Amino acid sequence: MIELKGVTRRFGDAVAVDDIDLTIETGEVCVLVGSSGCGKSTTLRMINRLLPRSSGDILVDGEDINKADPEALRLNMGYAIQSTGLFPHWTVARNIGVVPNLLKWPARKRDERVNELLTLLGLDPATDAIKYPHQLSGGQAQRVGVARALAGDPNILLMDEPFGALDAITRENLQQEMLRIQRQLNKTTVFVTHDIDEALKLATRIAVMDQGKIIQHDTPEAILRRPASAFVENLIGKGDRGLKLLALRTVGDLMERYPQPRKSEPCTDGLSEADSLRFALSVMVWQNSAELPVFNGAREEVGTVKREQLLQGGA
Amino acid sequence: MPSSTMPPNRVLLALALAALGLVWLLNLGVVQPNRIVSGTGYGLYGATGWGGAIIVSSLLLMVCVLAAKPVHKRFLGLAALLTAALMALPLLLEVFALRRLPSDSAYARIGIGAGFWCLAFFLALMLLEALGQIKASRRLQLSIVLLIVAGWWFCAGREGLSSLSLIREYTNRADQFSQALTVHLSLSLGAVAISAVLAFGLALAMVRREHWRRPLLGLVSFMQTIPSLALFGLLIAPLGALSAAFPVLQALGIRGIGWAPALLALIAYSLLPMVRNTYVALMEVPEAVVDAGRGMGMTEQQIFRQVKLPLALPVIIEGVRITTIQAIGLTAVAALIGAGGFGTFIFQGLGQAAMDLVLLGALPTVFLALAADAILSALRFQETSK
Ligand SMILES: Nc1ncnc2c1ncn2[C@@H]1O[C@H](COP(=O)(O)OP(=O)(O)OP(=O)(O)O)[C@@H](O)[C@H]1O
Ligand SMILES: [Mg+2]
Repeated sequence: MIELKGVTRRFGDAVAVDDIDLTIETGEVCVLVGSSGCGKSTTLRMINRLLPRSSGDILVDGEDINKADPEALRLNMGYAIQSTGLFPHWTVARNIGVVPNLLKWPARKRDERVNELLTLLGLDPATDAIKYPHQLSGGQAQRVGVARALAGDPNILLMDEPFGALDAITRENLQQEMLRIQRQLNKTTVFVTHDIDEALKLATRIAVMDQGKIIQHDTPEAILRRPASAFVENLIGKGDRGLKLLALRTVGDLMERYPQPRKSEPCTDGLSEADSLRFALSVMVWQNSAELPVFNGAREEVGTVKREQLLQGGA
Repeated sequence: MPSSTMPPNRVLLALALAALGLVWLLNLGVVQPNRIVSGTGYGLYGATGWGGAIIVSSLLLMVCVLAAKPVHKRFLGLAALLTAALMALPLLLEVFALRRLPSDSAYARIGIGAGFWCLAFFLALMLLEALGQIKASRRLQLSIVLLIVAGWWFCAGREGLSSLSLIREYTNRADQFSQALTVHLSLSLGAVAISAVLAFGLALAMVRREHWRRPLLGLVSFMQTIPSLALFGLLIAPLGALSAAFPVLQALGIRGIGWAPALLALIAYSLLPMVRNTYVALMEVPEAVVDAGRGMGMTEQQIFRQVKLPLALPVIIEGVRITTIQAIGLTAVAALIGAGGFGTFIFQGLGQAAMDLVLLGALPTVFLALAADAILSALRFQETSK
């Protein structure tokens, strides 16, 4: 658990972070979102003491972070940044192994961990591990950056726009992987982005920031349903709020389930349980169908979704 | 292979034709009755007779043909041919000595003429072009240079060339020569080593304390602007006074003239390129990389040793390379204040109008500078490609 109590950071006369209170529960993903310059990175960098705070307290699991020495604190906090900061003179494998090396893990354990992470992030342990950062694509480099942050098996992850500067498709893929990894590893995560869709997708709770203050701290659904101010309303976009709400829930939540899975005829079009309701609606509009079958991972038909249901109970 | 894919190589063609013209126009060698008198020059035919003239001309014509015709693997052949030609080049002088040196005079000697230098120079240029065309690796390039040096070394040791003026000057001063080599190397490399340590410290201070940057850079730049001769001279008075005041210094050999002021001046000159490169290299390590390292829990010392220094190393080595070449050249000038080294021969030779004595000082200086350049470039290349 990370607690920020009355934390302020000034640069000269300018106040970058203004008296914020924020509690991040163990295992949750807290996404800091807001426009450029609102103090997201500053907040993040105070948590691992890359920046000293001007006033206030930051506690990790009840302990003041200033009590321990900064290196020990950081070794337990994975850190990934937009520009990746990969060491250009080291191979991918050595980059990922930085923290295990700092923690003096035995070489065997470290190498196994590196391979495990490469696989986890969809990189090839045989070919990609021996590459140098300049030989990677932008997306691959950011994956390595995330792998490096995870390598020491830290309890806390701090990520500052780790998927920034990527094209929409690669970004989407990495977000999916991030969700999958988070389900597996359950790290307490603070994730910075200025992309509200990314925030809605990844967050357990979102903290909306503006001019150094936290305007609203709540679940994605609550933020969409009850924006605290005109600023938040603008940020989430009034127009497609309904669609964004649909995007938060899956087909599995809403469908009518059959008592028994049925064998499906081959080539039947349909949805899968993990698809979002937004996707389901889009398919229905496109195919002009009032009802679609839902399949599970084994291609068995497990239920149906009706358009009526979607429109009434979806959002 | 269709000829359209292998156009004639104009560079080689032009170089070979120019060499052919020059080697026929200029004197290949000179016969001098003694070391001071300028003597009579001989052209290619006069010096080596029909045999030598035909061999040299046909070699150059062969290069022309190979450069113009789309022969398979022609550049490889050319590189081999030119290497062999360069290795055996001093044999021309040997033939010359055999034919033209009067046997009755003990003082008579032969000098190297402009034609010979031109031939050597153009052969080297053509070899460079051929090596560039076959994209020779550094290792191959280095082996070829060593082969040529070995060839010349072998020829210089032969009896036939003992009448070569340059070699006469050397044999008369063999002891002085090896002493000059020692002094020259220890002065220049010593200055580089000391200033490397100093510069590293200064650059670190500039990185740590931003407000030290301007005064320090200003100081080392200022020292660079003093003409070298003036700096050598300027140090004579204060060092002389110091040494007169403290006999300990005198016992150590520190006087107004000699190695002490030379070393000081060399260090002063070496500081600027060294400090500037080290400082720039350390500052150019990307902020994000350092930030990431710190964020992952590396200590400042670990960041410096494992990240900043290795990333800065190629540029730092580049600074050492520039400095070393510069110091080797400047050490020659330091002979003026009695520091010794190859400059001694140069200034003696100038004083006595004995050009071959000047060469005896100048050639090894150039060779040392080239060798330092090759070694440090290779080192930097290795660091960069890591
Ligand atoms: N080292 C610094 N010195 C002075 N001012 C700073 C410094 N770092 C940040 N600031 C200021 O603090 C404010 C918050 O910066 P911060 O980097 O936290 O913004 P951000 O929310 O991360 O923005 P972005 O989305 O653009 O990354 C900005 O106004 C910035 O100008
Ligand atoms: Mg930021």
